Amino acid sequence: MPAVQDTIDRVRKIDVDQYKYGFQTEIAMDKAPKGLSEDIIRFISAKKDEPSWMLEWRLEAYRRWVTLDEPKWARVHYPKIDFQDLYYYAAPKSTPGPTSLSDVDPELLRVYEKLGIPLREQEILAGVQKTDASELEEPSDNVYKSGRVAVDAVFDSVSVVTTFKKELAQAGVIFCSISEAIREHPELVKKYLGSVVPTSDNFYATLNSAVFTDGSFVFVPKGVRCPMELSTYFRMNEKNTGQFERTLIIAEEGAYVSYLEGCTAPQRDENQLHAAVVELIALDDAEIKYSTVQNWYPGDAEGKGGIYNFVTKRGDCRGHRSKISWTQVETGSAITWKYPSCILRGDDSSGEFYSIAVSNGYQQVDSGTKMIHLGKNTSSRIISKGIAAGFSQNTYRGQVSAHRKATNARNFTNCDSLLIGDQCGAHTVPYMEAKNATAQFEHEATTSKISEDQKFYVMQRGIPEEEAIALIVNGFVKDVIQQLPMEFAVEAQKLIGISLEGSVG
Amino acid sequence: MNIHTTPQRTPAETALIDAFSDRLSLLPGDGTVMLKRDDAIEAIKSGLPTRRIESWHYTDLRRLLTTVPDFDPAAAAKAIAPVVEGSAVLPVLNGVSSTKLPEIEGIAVQRLSEKLTDGSAAPGLDPYGADDAIGALNTAFVADGYFVDIADGTELDKPVELQNLQAGGQTHVRLSVRVGVGAKAVIVERQAGEGAALVSSVSQLLLDEGAEATWLIVQEQPDTATHLAQFKAHLGKNAKLTLFVMNAGGKLVRQEVVVRTTGEGADFTLRGINLLAGDTHTDVTMVLDHAVPHTASTEVIRNVVTGRARGVFQGRINVHQYAQKTNAKMACNTLLLSDDGEFSTKPELEIFADDVVCGHGATVTEIDHSHLFYLMARGIDEKSARGLLVKAFVAEVIEELDDEAIVEALETRLDGWFAAHG
Repeated sequence: MPAVQDTIDRVRKIDVDQYKYGFQTEIAMDKAPKGLSEDIIRFISAKKDEPSWMLEWRLEAYRRWVTLDEPKWARVHYPKIDFQDLYYYAAPKSTPGPTSLSDVDPELLRVYEKLGIPLREQEILAGVQKTDASELEEPSDNVYKSGRVAVDAVFDSVSVVTTFKKELAQAGVIFCSISEAIREHPELVKKYLGSVVPTSDNFYATLNSAVFTDGSFVFVPKGVRCPMELSTYFRMNEKNTGQFERTLIIAEEGAYVSYLEGCTAPQRDENQLHAAVVELIALDDAEIKYSTVQNWYPGDAEGKGGIYNFVTKRGDCRGHRSKISWTQVETGSAITWKYPSCILRGDDSSGEFYSIAVSNGYQQVDSGTKMIHLGKNTSSRIISKGIAAGFSQNTYRGQVSAHRKATNARNFTNCDSLLIGDQCGAHTVPYMEAKNATAQFEHEATTSKISEDQKFYVMQRGIPEEEAIALIVNGFVKDVIQQLPMEFAVEAQKLIGISLEGSVG
Repeated sequence: MNIHTTPQRTPAETALIDAFSDRLSLLPGDGTVMLKRDDAIEAIKSGLPTRRIESWHYTDLRRLLTTVPDFDPAAAAKAIAPVVEGSAVLPVLNGVSSTKLPEIEGIAVQRLSEKLTDGSAAPGLDPYGADDAIGALNTAFVADGYFVDIADGTELDKPVELQNLQAGGQTHVRLSVRVGVGAKAVIVERQAGEGAALVSSVSQLLLDEGAEATWLIVQEQPDTATHLAQFKAHLGKNAKLTLFVMNAGGKLVRQEVVVRTTGEGADFTLRGINLLAGDTHTDVTMVLDHAVPHTASTEVIRNVVTGRARGVFQGRINVHQYAQKTNAKMACNTLLLSDDGEFSTKPELEIFADDVVCGHGATVTEIDHSHLFYLMARGIDEKSARGLLVKAFVAEVIEELDDEAIVEALETRLDGWFAAHG
């Protein structure tokens, strides 16, 4: 398998705490003063040119947030966060709403280039050097050619560019930053924002509702199959900033969309906060596929620095026969606190959760999902693979519940953990709640180290130990990798290899 | 939600605190014991556990414990025949142990009230964690029970049955057993009665090197009683424990199982059946610590839920960093037979050692329709076919116990339950 060989080569080249995306870029920034207050929220809202209802919505969330305590139930430990010592708004100065790539600060473009993010997607895919970036925006006759990706790039607090907008608009798909959506499509935002994750949901979601600065907005109208993969790349750059993005994806009746997000941040000694909210809404017969490759800076080998990734992600299968699928590859962040969930409200709706969480060094991962069966004949599937190495703690925490009216609810859960080294921990905390006799729930979990037999079998065939382990690990996570869009599957496989460096062998 | 709230004492909490001041002068204990009682009542004063306390997530004791009966000095529980014929019976009637103790070779029996009075029972009264509400309740009020010491090398040919029988009011009992080096014993813990009592019962078992024990908990309280019980065991080197728990009664039941392997080669087996009917709540919560290398455990829990019953199984396996080569497996299977019934399960693995094989599985489902069809195609009517399948589902666990007399005795209890609730 070439991908595996590739992983091993990469693993060899890179030292344990060499985070590839740890560089920092000097860009003139526009920042709000440090701290959080109603004034800061008014400032953010004014900066974004928001209508008054949006400001009210934010203020209401803020007033509630002040009454809340931080959640403490997760298996993660960190010093108390001083929420007044953060910048809640930071934006590159040269962004009066860019319309095409040519308006974007070239320094910014270089950042994304360095990250290998395909803003110039067409060129990369075609292998041809095109000089005029704005050509990207031109609709061409092969609109429905597969394998292309539209990108929304978010830098600290704002979205800097969204590609392929015109082309998507032709199909009727709206793909833009959430700030733009609030201005251009207030009726849609008003109708759906906060309808899956209400402002009162939890500490971090409430904080996000008050101060969110940007994120993506996707609207796929009735009967439309989104012609290409959509993706957002989040980049945290400024010091002491928190990133609070908000993503809202709506698939109307019979629509289909596949969305991918990627995240990176510079290498710093202090911890940075990332508290995002993602809401997905699938109406009758709609399908949303949401994939994440999360690679925030995980901190150095001593556990210093890194991102606190406290994220609320929830999908609502509101319509009959709708489907929401979450796939995540978690390799970064000092602390991950994230439970992408599905509310299976519509009859015959289904939810899926595929996850690989790799932790090394002093990373702490507490992640999992919730599958809430409300409608009849709803089904859900959870496949979670945790790999813990170094001094890390890796927890799967998931809930499956069938409510009284959820006749014939069906769930299958499988969570496996692999331990590499004796200083790390793997934990499984599944909750199963059945209130309907016709519900059928199955859960299985295993924890083990790489079996000596398997390793022996592979090594006996002349494969060195390190490669053997990489091969077995890749086999262990295969079920999840298969769910990722092709391009990202390769990326994810490499990431896993890199994350395990220093522990394999 | 994390909104600040100021807790107000519930009537049950107030009743417990008042009962403590009333009972204080009657409770046996030397200075150390009485200090432990003070600490325990302080813990209760800070509030009974709610669903916010993780280990009580599905049994919100503060909300569910609505009434606490007064102590009833007139209550008179009747002695009952042991589960296995010919067993040596040690009864505790309404919280009071017997003065006439049977004489069995190799066994020394002491009344716990004596051990409380002289303070020798004090070390066992400590709670095992911050959220040990049953331990606190029992430590505050416990007045009697037994201390059974099975001498090294003794092999008992008949079971010892410890009976805790109530007839209303409150009873708080503690049953401690030590099985000496290389000794073998079968112990039955019987929990029953006929009143609307509040029962707290804590059992402690110490298995010395190479000791082997089978401990059966048979809980058949009436559906008016609140039964809060705890079983704690330490397994020494090469010790072997088979614990069998059968819950077939009670209005509000919580059975905690707290086991720790402290010697290499220790082996723990848990088999449980929960038969739930009516408008009841039954919770079995297990915390198992693999603290040393080379220990093994398997747990199988089978639940049958009918009526408006709510069932809970929480099982946490902690594998400590030093406990390499641990082999731990847990399964919890539930048959949910009514639309008003409910079952919640939380099997947890907390693993800090890498060279281990651990797994858990949990299922919740109704009767398999193809099995039902198979039987009905052979002329068995639906009701009997269902009965057969449900019984087979739980009996499987009982049949694993290799002592014929015990299997037969337990199947009799099982048949009794099905006759009453089938």
